Amino acid sequence: MSSVLILVPLFGIIGLNMLPRNVARRAAFWFAAAVFTAEILLAIVHQPAFWTEALVRFDSFFRLKFSVDSLSRIMLICIGVVSLSSLVVAKSTVSDEKEAFKFINILITASIGMSGIVMVKDIFSLYVFLEIAALSSFILIAFNKDINGLEGAFKYLILSAVATVLMLTSIAILLLDSPDTAFSTLHNEIAHSRGNFIVTFAIGLFICGLFIKGGLVPFHGWLPDAYMAAPAPVSILLAGVMTKACGIYTLMRIVASVFGFTDPIKNTMMLIGMISILVGAFAALGQTNFKRMLAYSSISQVGYIILGAGTGTFLGLAGAAFHLFNHAIFKGLLFVNSAALEEKVGTSDMSRMGGLSERMPVTGATSVIAMLSASGVPPLAGFWSKLLIVIALWQIGHYAYAAIAILASVLTLAYFLYMQRQVFFGKLPPGLEGLREAGNGLTLTASALAVITVGAGLAFPYIYNHFLLPLKEIFF
Amino acid sequence: MEASSWGLFSAFGFFITLIFVCGLYCILATRSLIRAIIGLELLIKAVTLLVIVTGYLNNNTALAQSFVITIIVIEVVLVVIAGGVALQIFRHNDDLDTRRLTNLRG
Repeated sequence: MSSVLILVPLFGIIGLNMLPRNVARRAAFWFAAAVFTAEILLAIVHQPAFWTEALVRFDSFFRLKFSVDSLSRIMLICIGVVSLSSLVVAKSTVSDEKEAFKFINILITASIGMSGIVMVKDIFSLYVFLEIAALSSFILIAFNKDINGLEGAFKYLILSAVATVLMLTSIAILLLDSPDTAFSTLHNEIAHSRGNFIVTFAIGLFICGLFIKGGLVPFHGWLPDAYMAAPAPVSILLAGVMTKACGIYTLMRIVASVFGFTDPIKNTMMLIGMISILVGAFAALGQTNFKRMLAYSSISQVGYIILGAGTGTFLGLAGAAFHLFNHAIFKGLLFVNSAALEEKVGTSDMSRMGGLSERMPVTGATSVIAMLSASGVPPLAGFWSKLLIVIALWQIGHYAYAAIAILASVLTLAYFLYMQRQVFFGKLPPGLEGLREAGNGLTLTASALAVITVGAGLAFPYIYNHFLLPLKEIFF
Repeated sequence: MEASSWGLFSAFGFFITLIFVCGLYCILATRSLIRAIIGLELLIKAVTLLVIVTGYLNNNTALAQSFVITIIVIEVVLVVIAGGVALQIFRHNDDLDTRRLTNLRG
């Protein structure tokens, strides 16, 4: 019954738009909240029978074939948590009822696209769901119709469309030899004709497209612009799960179950990951805008995920999957904080802030937790995932990469400490004396995400046994 | 793949590459948002043609046809959104010049 996660929100949106206007506007928030909560609960309370059983009539009518494994479950939890945070933040930042209704509709569409991406077993359906997620995120970035949002949306649109064209070309070429586009069929065909020039070319195009979608370094031009220009709740969604689901998760899934971990692919992934870590971290050091710094920090953290996945060993993939989850949570949390700052201070320019933690205690405290988790400070969740990645690199003999990965954590700490000093410590600048803490929606979301970060760090043995160990079945 | 179909594939491949390069050049060289969208259209058209050719060579035309219809539907939505964004930019800036889209830097 995996298709429930697609069909219920889809028909829900259609139903909502048929209801009388004032009823629909009130019901939309609760419907979306129920959908996202159900998604989280279904993924945590794992009942294999629930996912595998076919939905009578519907599955055969829509020809849906989904399957959920442990990597999909981790992603479904991320999608649910981050979409829910984005929804709650939108409720307190988008004041106009009509706009809020539109926002919730597109948010649910985006989450349908992302849930589809993590559940499909067919490369063409993957393309369709990628486009659903990407198209709704273009609309969301340009949601306020201000010139910055439009510019960011257009840049993202062009690069994302080029990426999907590359992927489609690759699918078309792979179709030359294969009777259909299911992951398993393609895997056999590719294993059969390994070394063939055209097949290698197709694999290269597909991976290139995914690097663009994931915002990894040679192709990262669109990412800071889109994150910075997007309205606050949209930045949370984009940075938390959108690029992860569209680029990084897809890369891990496709390489693991279609292309296979060959040496050239592994080396490319590790090299690109390393470059992303360093370029992202150094670029973040020089930023003066809060959201732009977070965007470059995202590039750097996503580099860690690719670096871990590129090792091709179980430990590396487990570290990558866990870092994917951690990054969704702490980056979502930092963007919630940026939403609070934007709402209260009215800007995200760091030079105009200072000493805010005495006025906004919750925002200040949660941002410290998120930043420590991002830099890999021990009891927090980010430490464990980075540790797994570094151990995996050490085990396969890439000592230099392991050393740089550790040193880059120091860089992460450096730019986040600079951010903390500029924004939350020090003296209040004149004009901000009357500042108050942000509304309940924002502080509750931030606290919940901070609790998840701390909890996932403390309960790491449980997570390792219940979520990361089952990954062995997928990849090996 | 047999020798005769290889000839067909290279003939189509030549034109597909031509359209693809035109589209890519259009996106890279133009200063107008509308022309960038037209470039995107050209790229997607080239890929659609490629899907048709590979489906024909693979004796899998039914699958290729359903793919092409799906691609066309998605392409229409993409172009509508791109057009909408370009229209809003025109309302703000009174022109479609990409050189004026330089607010976001750093």
